[in-house]
Amino acid sequence: MKLKHVLTVFKKEVKDLIRDRRTIMSSILLPMILIPLLNIVMGGGIQKFEKDINENVSIALSQTSDTPEINGLVTERILAKNGNIVLVDADDPSKALENDEIRCILDFEDGYVQKLKDGKPVTITLQYDESKTKSRTAADIVSSAIDEFESEIVRERLAAKGIDLDIMNPFEIQLQNVAPNQKGNNMMLEMMLPLMISMLVAVGGIPAATDLVAGEKEHNTFEPLLTTMPDRGSLLLGKYFAVTLFSFVSVAAILAGLVFGYLLNPNSLTMGVDSQVYGYEIDPLAAVLALIITIALGMTFSGIQIALSTIAKSYKEAQTYLSFLMLGSMVPAYATMFMQASDLSPVMFTLPILNTIAAFKMILGGNIIYSNLFIALVASVVFVALTLWFAASIFKKEKVLFRS
Amino acid sequence: MVVAAGLEKKFGQFTAVDKISFKVNKGEIFGLLGENGAGKTTTLRMLSTMLKPTSGNAVLNGFDTQNEPEKVRANIGILFGGETGLYDRLTAAENIAYFGELNGMSKAAIRERSQHLAEAFGMQDFMDKRASKLSKGMKQKAAFARSIVHNPEIMLFDEPTSGLDVTASRDVQDFILDCKAEGKTIIFSSHSMSEVEKLCDRIGIIHKGKLVECGSVEELKKKYGNDDLEEIFVRLAGVR
Repeated sequence: MKLKHVLTVFKKEVKDLIRDRRTIMSSILLPMILIPLLNIVMGGGIQKFEKDINENVSIALSQTSDTPEINGLVTERILAKNGNIVLVDADDPSKALENDEIRCILDFEDGYVQKLKDGKPVTITLQYDESKTKSRTAADIVSSAIDEFESEIVRERLAAKGIDLDIMNPFEIQLQNVAPNQKGNNMMLEMMLPLMISMLVAVGGIPAATDLVAGEKEHNTFEPLLTTMPDRGSLLLGKYFAVTLFSFVSVAAILAGLVFGYLLNPNSLTMGVDSQVYGYEIDPLAAVLALIITIALGMTFSGIQIALSTIAKSYKEAQTYLSFLMLGSMVPAYATMFMQASDLSPVMFTLPILNTIAAFKMILGGNIIYSNLFIALVASVVFVALTLWFAASIFKKEKVLFRS
Repeated sequence: MVVAAGLEKKFGQFTAVDKISFKVNKGEIFGLLGENGAGKTTTLRMLSTMLKPTSGNAVLNGFDTQNEPEKVRANIGILFGGETGLYDRLTAAENIAYFGELNGMSKAAIRERSQHLAEAFGMQDFMDKRASKLSKGMKQKAAFARSIVHNPEIMLFDEPTSGLDVTASRDVQDFILDCKAEGKTIIFSSHSMSEVEKLCDRIGIIHKGKLVECGSVEELKKKYGNDDLEEIFVRLAGVR
């Protein structure tokens, strides 16, 4: 194997790929624009949805409760302090709930005035539709409003009996955040960033890998290449590094897109769900290790991608194999999506893909255990070696190379 | 010079090439004549070190395919039939230069040789055009140039006129004769009797992996008492 040959193949492949509009579109331009756009649109959608859920809680009284007294009681005592709840008139409240015109129906039991006077419990039935998020959330909001009203009545009753109101509060709970400053409340980032990094690294090299071996076979350029002086190891490595480079160019394009999206709308990075991303202080050593682990993951995927592209007889067949690989990489990414840094087990740092996800979650979580990071690093290097060996053995197999 | 000694290639239980031996002298055109699937391409792939023989060996220009495959490859040029196998997104010049570089040429040597080839094949006007933009004829010229950019001693042609029209086939044949005129050793596979008869100094008839006959066209005609090479082929191959 000669470095000169590796470099010759690498330079040619990069030049060739740069000129391929399809690769540039799918590896660079599309993710660069699409991902931040998706985040902004999704973030905007989520924010709008949250706002709508909390701010436009329309309720109606049941037909039996729709009296001026109850109307007045609800408006003055329950809704007065909850401007987000609106009492609307509905001729047929059940139909209105079904048609999403209102979110809940309030029903007061008969004789509620007397029962209130007598200090007996009054049953208020809150009808809502469990299958609808907005109705379900509205039921919680209205319940809280009724709870407040209930506390008010209890306070009035106690005051009338001359009892100190403190009897109602045997405990006073004070919440104190002990998390260090750098551990912001960026759960969304902890969820999304490792998932995105691992998946993007997995898919970034696919267009290049497909083109560089299966594409060559399809265009009849592969056999002439095999008759040139370099040995197969040099040809493979040149192609392998080109695929790896493109998987990172793709990730870099997406990250650039995310930064651009963040500059346009800071909430886009966390899809508008969490607090903004700020105050992170990541140790430089941890950042460097995370970067190396990510590069190693990219190289691992490149090895598998090149091997699958070599096995494929045609471009289409390679795309099919590689789409399976993409789906396979999604399993660990999504399985650990809701896992937080505190949930990570040491075994995760030894498993492919999971080790990269775990390393990122741990770093973003703030409690960095360096021994685990080093385990992840060593595991990554082993995976790179294994997949490269696999690719090399496939690339040398005559049965695979000359399949027809 | 090329010497094949007992070359055998098995794919599992199937014997694609069955211990064939032949010798091609320097400056000679040797034709491998056979039907589709007879073992011509497998033989050329073994000679070009793309495939490892199951047994036997070949020596090209003094280099052993088993022990010195890199040196063998540096001494051969190869041209396939059908598609030209050029990289569409590279220009004609870049396609040629890539193979020159892979075959160990310096940048200056590539530049000089490319200029010479561009003049020889009349490619000056389209050297800087991407292969995807070239006509079939232009592509073919670029493929010729690419195959000999490193000035190999030995040329292998694998059914080079397959799928080509009359004019394009004529260009390929002229190219083969030019290579011969330059003193290159040529092995040429084909299933076209007329082509083989026209170009080859000697031929080897290959059938079901076995080399069933070897000699000059005249020798074969004399031996089998028939002026029609096709008849001789049919007789030897046991077709019909």
